[in-house]
Amino acid sequence: MKRIQLKVNGKVYEVDIEEDMRLLDVLRDKLHLTGTKEGCGEGECGACTIIMDETTVNACMVMAFQGEGKEIITIEGVKGDHDLHPIQRAFLEEGAVQCGFCTPGMVLSAKALLDQNPSPTRKEIREGISGNLCRCTGYNQIVNAIEKASQYLRGEETKE
Amino acid sequence: MEIKEVFQTKEIKKTLEILEYYQHQCKIIAGGTDLIIQLREGKEKPIALVDISNIEELKEVKETAEWIEIGSAVTFTQIIGISYLQNKLAALVEAAASVGSPQIRNAATIGGNICNASPAADCIPPLLALDAIVVLQRKNIIREMHLEDFITDKGKAALEADELLTKIKFKKLQINQGLGFSKLGFRKALAISKISTAVYIDREQNNRCKEIRIANGALGRCGLREKKVEEYLLEKTLDKTTIHQGGIKLKEEIEKRLHGRSTVAFKKEAVIGVFQKAFKKALECCDTEGSI
Repeated sequence: MKRIQLKVNGKVYEVDIEEDMRLLDVLRDKLHLTGTKEGCGEGECGACTIIMDETTVNACMVMAFQGEGKEIITIEGVKGDHDLHPIQRAFLEEGAVQCGFCTPGMVLSAKALLDQNPSPTRKEIREGISGNLCRCTGYNQIVNAIEKASQYLRGEETKE
Repeated sequence: MEIKEVFQTKEIKKTLEILEYYQHQCKIIAGGTDLIIQLREGKEKPIALVDISNIEELKEVKETAEWIEIGSAVTFTQIIGISYLQNKLAALVEAAASVGSPQIRNAATIGGNICNASPAADCIPPLLALDAIVVLQRKNIIREMHLEDFITDKGKAALEADELLTKIKFKKLQINQGLGFSKLGFRKALAISKISTAVYIDREQNNRCKEIRIANGALGRCGLREKKVEEYLLEKTLDKTTIHQGGIKLKEEIEKRLHGRSTVAFKKEAVIGVFQKAFKKALECCDTEGSI
């Protein structure tokens, strides 16, 4: 047992961990931030994607103690000024969510991409989400949504 | 998993003390993309883990007059982003960019890729072709070794229990020296190499091959040099016929090495194409201005 400090979504948590816990386990089971999903548990599917120090990582491939001293953002920390984040709004509008299991990871990969590259091409969007598997949508709606979200974030509202 | 102690260190010195104390019972963790899976599968059972991913010194890439030195905890994403590697060392950048997915490249390190010594490790062939040297440190002793001697077998490296791989270094390329890389995977992202090949060429003024190093991944128990093919190509004129003959020679080698494996039928053919691509890229790279 070890006590560590984790900074998640801007809030500092004092949490007791087992040495063999992954960051994913702490987020879900200790902090009850269950928006981060566990899919494959081996870094293939990206359902557990979080943002750590401004880059995306799979929370199943980070040990809990390695999260100490890092700025961690989970889907619970992704919010807009009033309600939804523009990426989330675009996902809903474009039908980019079906079963929803990949969505938190997908949104965080999209956020990390758009934070670094506000106007990505469709190819860059596809590369940006290449570590996130979706078994429902066939990806096109997700790419459309991220393209739309990039316009929202640049302040360009599109008229259908 | 029965891990009892975990350490996040900020200095090499402290890390070496921990390694000296725990010896084989301690594992070094950086990106964790290989180790965490091994821990969960029970393939590794350390009682202590030491995280080196916060040691600044290990996260630096340095350029000196003659050498490029890459810290062992440098991630693939970092390598892809280094502007002075984009021209002369585009092959190394390409290999780094072909690893896993964005999430994996953000975490996984070059040192981990080497020490884990997977047969399909993407960065090993280009580093072997560059004849890279690994720098290993333990309390009071620093030693250097050719990468080729460091990787001894599938999943095995000549790293002592109390030793830390601190950096990988290789000589900068000059004009008429070039590096090429090509990889065959079953899809574009998250693809483990089925074949990866790197070729280094040092070309003479008269277009003859002064020196050549060819290294393959996923075509043996670990990343390895193709010495017989290298010997064959030495002093030959670098033209289409040579590239073709080199491919045939490599095919023969692979056929012998993979004899009895189910993959031999496709790999012996596919390797010709992968080799030719890497070879052509290496020749193009020879024309690029040095020194990196």
